[in-house]
Amino acid sequence: MQVRVGASLFDLWNRSGARSLFVVGIGKNVGKTVAMRAIYRACVEAGEICALTSIGRDGEAFDATDALAKPRLWLTPGTVVATAREALPRSPASEVLEVTSYRTAAGALVYARVRSGAHYELVGPPAASALRTVVHELAAHAPRVLVDGAVDRIAALAGGEDAVVVSCGASAAPTPGEVVDEVRALVARLQTPRLEEGSDALSIEGALTPAAVAQLVRARERRAIVVRDPTQIAITGKAALQAFERLTIRCLRPLRVVAVTIASIGRDRAFAPRSFAREVAQAVTLPVFDVYAAERAA
Amino acid sequence: MKPARLLDAASAHAVGFGWLRAALAPASPYGDDAFAQLEPFAPGAEHDARRRAERIARIAAALDDERIDAVRALLAQAPDAAPALARASMGEALDDAGLLEVQRFFDACVALDGLTSACTDLPRVAGDAVRTCAAALERGRAGKFGFYLEDAFDAALGRARAALAQAQAEYDAALGRTRAAAAHALGREISFPEFIVMREDLRGPLPSGVRVVREAATYVLCELDADDGVLAALKRREDAASEVARVEEAVRERLSSTLRAHAAALDEALRATGETDVLIAAARFVRQHRCVVAEYGADELSFEGGRFVPLELELAAQGRAFTPIDLRLDGIAVVTGPNMGGKSACLRACGFIAACAAFGLPVPAVRARVPVFSEIAWMGIGSDEDGGGGLLSSFAREIVRLRELLARSLPARLVLLDEFARTTTPSEGKALLVAVLERLRADGADALAATHLAGLAQAAGARHYAVRGLHGVAQRPAEEDLNAALERLAASMDYTLEEVTGERGRGSDAIALASLLGIDAAVIDAAYRALDSLE
Repeated sequence: MQVRVGASLFDLWNRSGARSLFVVGIGKNVGKTVAMRAIYRACVEAGEICALTSIGRDGEAFDATDALAKPRLWLTPGTVVATAREALPRSPASEVLEVTSYRTAAGALVYARVRSGAHYELVGPPAASALRTVVHELAAHAPRVLVDGAVDRIAALAGGEDAVVVSCGASAAPTPGEVVDEVRALVARLQTPRLEEGSDALSIEGALTPAAVAQLVRARERRAIVVRDPTQIAITGKAALQAFERLTIRCLRPLRVVAVTIASIGRDRAFAPRSFAREVAQAVTLPVFDVYAAERAA
Repeated sequence: MKPARLLDAASAHAVGFGWLRAALAPASPYGDDAFAQLEPFAPGAEHDARRRAERIARIAAALDDERIDAVRALLAQAPDAAPALARASMGEALDDAGLLEVQRFFDACVALDGLTSACTDLPRVAGDAVRTCAAALERGRAGKFGFYLEDAFDAALGRARAALAQAQAEYDAALGRTRAAAAHALGREISFPEFIVMREDLRGPLPSGVRVVREAATYVLCELDADDGVLAALKRREDAASEVARVEEAVRERLSSTLRAHAAALDEALRATGETDVLIAAARFVRQHRCVVAEYGADELSFEGGRFVPLELELAAQGRAFTPIDLRLDGIAVVTGPNMGGKSACLRACGFIAACAAFGLPVPAVRARVPVFSEIAWMGIGSDEDGGGGLLSSFAREIVRLRELLARSLPARLVLLDEFARTTTPSEGKALLVAVLERLRADGADALAATHLAGLAQAAGARHYAVRGLHGVAQRPAEEDLNAALERLAASMDYTLEEVTGERGRGSDAIALASLLGIDAAVIDAAYRALDSLE
């Protein structure tokens, strides 16, 4: 079904009620930046001021690890960015709002307002805790904050009230089935339901680790296993899926996962777009969008 | 703030130098540099030390706590403009973040002068150079805090940006026409340079303006193919962007050259800001801890109402008061008294007050007369805090430290001996201590020894101070709870230090203390019986 993907994602973000939205991926080159750019454009077209940042580095012209071309972020006047001082384009000049004490690989993190349209590279704080503070501070400059959440760096979601878009793509695994398993596991973690009041529950302090899960399964634990928020579930892939099948895992502060995006074209491989989209849609109970094909999975 | 030759690591630890350094820490990177350079005054520089202490005391009197906190908050928030100013002085055209840092520094200078205007002992930091350079940057002030290369800096900027906006609009329009035509032909949205077209959706060939990047069985990966019109618009946009970059860089160069022209004066503003930060931190210390300017004289270390501030604060946190100390040390002296009676605190207070004076700081006392010592050396308990020793016994470690101390023939030394030689036989330990004190006296050092050894003061011909000690504890039952025992000890202990003649003075009250700290009555009774038989 042909759709305006950016506008659809922006609408879902709006309906979530969250001021900030994180785009997180199951791997590198799975279309996170493309999804982010689509949402950003829809935000601009809706006349809303948006602030952008990332965990670590994104938006650069070439991939820092394999030197291949990357999608770039063309930002329009009024947009606010949190990026490294060395990554801020020297021209056209931006309005520098603050030189912060946060350090990145490319110098101090600065907050700047775009005054003339230009390509920007986002180099945000590498630490999840710092990113949370940055998101909070950016909210003083713009009503909406959009974050490129980097590869499976969900720790940055801890303690936030953000909406989340999950990106997956052909670059993440050799077969569509493996990608589907990965995204299903990540979405299951992020969508961990809130503990219902009055439930018989066992609270876990800190992270729910694979060892703890194995122990609970062996003990045939029937109570709800409760973590503070989904970022405390430190199991991935099939292990996570099995944990959710065998245990009743709940959290105190759920996240708001609003959609999944797919990129059927990878660096080294490509999947048939529509069948891949269908498989992902069947695996998650969320709207699934192909950002390259401008389609929503049926 | 470096202890340098004044204190070695163990002595610095014993007299609370680390605490003092933290209490005097400046609020900003400007002060950090100045603070790192602080060294103690040397003997002979008493006049300079006193002048510094008097200056700090006047600042503390001129500014109230609220004003001092406001200055420190201002300095803490000011960005460190020193690297940017250094780069500008070396010919670099600063980036806009650097210009913002410099502008904020200038703002801080002006605000700082406003906050400290009532105090003539602090340097003025916003001189002519700061005001001239601030005026040059003022047009870049954007919003409450930001900086932007506004068109007002140069008429050419406005023209170049208008041309770029026009070229951008033309390029967007040209690309938009190509995109719209392709989107219309394909019946879908095209938002990105690369997009997928499903073969099953294609009715005929791809429309013009769309180029194939990669083909697959079920889809075609495409991108927009820029025609000559789009490419020409792109070229015009790139040319316009280059012109904007050129003019912006010229403005940055001009602003940076203004900073470069005033580099020496701006460097002085940085230095003065750092000096202010250090002096304000010292004034805060003086106000918080009720310090006074000591008289500086080479003849004696004496004080009334002296306090060892780190311990005073620790006690205050537990709701207890530090008993101020009166002491006169003009050569060698001995302190005796019960365990936990404050002998070590007396030694530490001496060292702390002497260290403050050596750095030209007012001292925590009601009145004080202090030499500028070349060295403050701590011997005995706590002198091997750095963990050295290896195969050496604690006595051997003390002796090694003593050997090193005696080998350094420095003038004007303060030596603090806390139960030195306590781990050997009392008779030999006492003999050794008497000899050491005589040697130190002969060397012209001031030395204070805390000890439980009876008759030491008389044997060494030293002034004798004694802690008044416990009263009415021995008959009380043992406390089960340690905290309760310590509270009762504090209530039962008179920590007052008084000079005594001859060997008058109290014993160590060790058995009474053991009882108070919970040793059972049978052991205590046996101890008292043993004491009677020994005496």
